[in-house]
Amino acid sequence: MYFDSFDTALWPYVFILLGASLPTAIWRWIGVVLVGNIDDGSQWLVLVRCVSTALVAAVIAQLIFEPSGALASFPFYLRISAALIGFAAFLAMGRRLFIGILFGELALLGGYAMM
Amino acid sequence: MSTQDSPDSHGVYDWSWFTKGAAQLFSLPALILVSAFIGFGGLAREAGISLWQLIFMVPSIWALPSHLILVAGIAAGVPLLAIIPAVALAAVRMLPMTMAFIPEVRMPRSKTWHLLLISNMIAITAWMHTLQKAPAIPRNGRLPFFVGFAGILMVATTCAAALVHQLAASFPGYVMAALYFLTPIYFATSSWNTSRVPAEKLALVLGFCMGPLFFMVVPQANILFAGVIGGFAAFGFHKFANRRGSD
Repeated sequence: MYFDSFDTALWPYVFILLGASLPTAIWRWIGVVLVGNIDDGSQWLVLVRCVSTALVAAVIAQLIFEPSGALASFPFYLRISAALIGFAAFLAMGRRLFIGILFGELALLGGYAMM
Repeated sequence: MSTQDSPDSHGVYDWSWFTKGAAQLFSLPALILVSAFIGFGGLAREAGISLWQLIFMVPSIWALPSHLILVAGIAAGVPLLAIIPAVALAAVRMLPMTMAFIPEVRMPRSKTWHLLLISNMIAITAWMHTLQKAPAIPRNGRLPFFVGFAGILMVATTCAAALVHQLAASFPGYVMAALYFLTPIYFATSSWNTSRVPAEKLALVLGFCMGPLFFMVVPQANILFAGVIGGFAAFGFHKFANRRGSD
């Protein structure tokens, strides 16, 4: 079955729900059920936090290494070095998000302008 | 704030934090997420998604990687049965994210179905921002704060994506690239600040390095592999460091 399989106004919405809403939400529901009886100070939660942080980090890497849209037309070395410059500036200057973003963006656009 | 420890506050949410959460619309994370959805609105239009389909999918899915997989799949004519596992695989991170989140916001007598309902608003930005602010919010205000913040984000991002879709705004390529680039930097810096134990910082570094490595081996499941293996390795370090520290 494809997005344009049925010529009804409703089908695309069913497709969106089945194809993406449900496969995303199901994990949240399982998470709520599984965490039901775990004690708040449990070591399990440290493990869970480590895994969720590593998953987010892998998403970050994906956004830089294999971006979609306009960022994909920027060379890889520019993307990765701008990201590292932004993160280094963030660490060096008081761990303020704004600093990381400012320096990362300046490096990305500055590098692009020089190309 | 003095109500935090009074016995009658247990199980009763302080909804005054809802508006404080909603007021976070004017914050850096909200600005970044709205920018990301400006990019998504343009992408969806190019993929042939109609305005109402876009307005429907933004809050009903509510996880940008899932949005991107769905829209890329539709654009490429991928069948439903192939889109489902791809999205499910990319969204597994919602499981540990939810498990890390709920203990921070629940009250002793929170009803499970309430938590199931609000769990649908969990996505990286609202999750991270709430976890970061949580220590400064009394426990009975955390869930209302989250619902207020995630709720306003849902409205704002849907409006932004819909507006771009309608205007068919064609920003220059470098502007769109700069907007996309906000998201990874924000995720990275914010998770660094949200971490409680050093092992989480290690998990961040390991996940970042392992993601592209596993992409070369298992391109469909690299995020899952990097997250689970990187996360367990960081936890192993945590156990090891604690044991040494207690000697």
